[in-house]
Amino acid sequence: MNRFAVGIRSNVRTFLRTPLNVVLALVLPLVVIEGWGQAMAGLPPMPTIEAIPLDLGRVLGAIFGVAIIAGLMGLVQMISAREADRRLVQTGYSPRTLLATRLATLAGVTIVVAGVNFGVLWLTVEPEAPLLVFAFLALAGVVYAFLGALVGAVLPRLFEGSLVVVFLAMMDAFLSGDSPLAADVPDFVQYFPLYHPKELLQSAVFDGTFAAGDLAFVGGYVLVLLVLVTAVFGATMRTSGGWSA
Amino acid sequence: MNRTATAFGIGLREHARNYVLVALLVILPVSFITLAFAVTQDVQMPVRTLVDGETTTVMRGMPEVHGVIMTPITSSFIAGLAGLFLMREARDTDGRLAVVGYRAREVIAARFGVLAVITLVVVGVSVGVMLVDFQPEQLWWFVAAMVILSVTYGLIGMLVGAVFNRLAGLWIMLILPMIDIGLFQDPLFVQSEPEWWMKLFPGYHPVRVMVDTGLTTDLDTAMSLGWGFGYLLVVGLLAIWVYYRGTRAT
Repeated sequence: MNRFAVGIRSNVRTFLRTPLNVVLALVLPLVVIEGWGQAMAGLPPMPTIEAIPLDLGRVLGAIFGVAIIAGLMGLVQMISAREADRRLVQTGYSPRTLLATRLATLAGVTIVVAGVNFGVLWLTVEPEAPLLVFAFLALAGVVYAFLGALVGAVLPRLFEGSLVVVFLAMMDAFLSGDSPLAADVPDFVQYFPLYHPKELLQSAVFDGTFAAGDLAFVGGYVLVLLVLVTAVFGATMRTSGGWSA
Repeated sequence: MNRTATAFGIGLREHARNYVLVALLVILPVSFITLAFAVTQDVQMPVRTLVDGETTTVMRGMPEVHGVIMTPITSSFIAGLAGLFLMREARDTDGRLAVVGYRAREVIAARFGVLAVITLVVVGVSVGVMLVDFQPEQLWWFVAAMVILSVTYGLIGMLVGAVFNRLAGLWIMLILPMIDIGLFQDPLFVQSEPEWWMKLFPGYHPVRVMVDTGLTTDLDTAMSLGWGFGYLLVVGLLAIWVYYRGTRAT
C-alpha cells in the first residue's frame, strides 16, 4: 500500500477513534439548521425588512453549520498533527504527500458532514435540485476546511487559530448570509468564503439552477487556498539545517 | 509572595508574552463589533422588555438592539474559548504543580484568576468599542450583566474542556453561545414569551438585563441579575469541583 493510502487510512482512523466527534458531527447540523431557521422566521417584517421564510433560514443555517464544523476540523487536524508530521518528514515522507493525505481526509469527512446537513435539509425543505444542493454544501465545507487548515498552518496554536476561524465564520455568516439586519454591505463581502457558495446553494434549493460564474469563483477560491496551504505547510515542515524547523 | 500569586503571575505573563493572542483579543472584538454597527439597517424595530415592571413592546433603532446582542456574544465567545484552552493546558501542567507541593486550591485559584483577567480585558475592549456607536441607558448595570454572562461562559468553557476533547470542545463553544445569545435570546428574533427551554440557557437572564438596561431608563430586571449571578455560582462550583478532581487525579 502506498504512503498516500496509509496516511488517509490512519487519519480517518484517528477521527473515528473518538466517537464523540462523530456523534457531534451528526447532531450539531440538526441543531444549527433548525435553530437558525426557527429564529430567522421569528423576525417581524418591517417596511425595509423582508420576512425570512423558515426554509431560507434553514438553508443559511445549513451552509453555516457545514462551514464551521469543517473549518474547525481543518484547524485542529493541522495543529494537532504538526509535531508528528515533522517527524514523518524527517523520516523521509514528502511534505506534499503528507499534506495531500491531510486534505484528502478533511475533504472526505467534510463530504460526510455535508451529507448529514443535506439529509436534514432534504427532510425539512425539499430542494428543487437535490444533487446540486449536496454538491454545493460539500463545496462550502471544503472551502472552510481548507481555510481552517491554512489558519492552522500559519498560527500553530489552537486558541489563536480558533479565534480567527470562529470570528471569520461569524462575520461571513452575517455579511454573506443575506442577513435581514444588514444594509450597506460593503463590496468586499463577495470575496468572503461563503458568499458565492451561499448564492449557489440558494439557487439550487429554490430554483434548481446555478450560475456558472459563482461556481468558477468558488473553484478558484479552493485553488488559491490549496496553493497557500501547500506553500505554508512546506515552509513549516522544512527540516534541512537542523533538528527542528 | 505566596504560591497562588506566583502561579497566577506566571500564568498571566505566559499569555501576555503571546503577542499574537493579545493582538487578537483586541483586533477581533474591535473589527466584529464595529462591522456589526456599520452594516446594520437604521430602522425602528419592536423589542419586548420590562418597563415599570410590565412586559411591553417598545420601538428602538435596530443598531442599538443589535449592539446589545453583538457585544456580549463577542466577549462570551472569547471567554468561552479562553476557559476551554486554559483547562486543556491545565491538564498538562497542573498535575506537575501538585507533585511539587502545590495544593489543589492554590492551582485552582491561580487558573481562575487568569481566566477572570482575560474575561475582564475582553469585556473592557468589547464595551469600549460598543460605546463608540452606542451608549446603553444604564451603562454600569449593562456592564455588570455582561461580566456575569462572560464569566459564566468562561467557566462553561472550562467545564467543556474538562469533559470533551479539543475538537468537540471547540464545536460546542462556538455553537452554544451562537444559538443561546445570537438566536434564542435575541429580542429581534424572539418576539413572544420565550419557550421554557430557552430560559435554561446561560444567556437568558443576563441578556434580559442587557436589553432592559441598554434600551430603557429604569432597571426592571434586578431579579434577573440575581438569577444570572446564581447561574454563575452554580457553574463556578461545578467547574471548581471538576478542576479539583482533575488536579488531584493527575
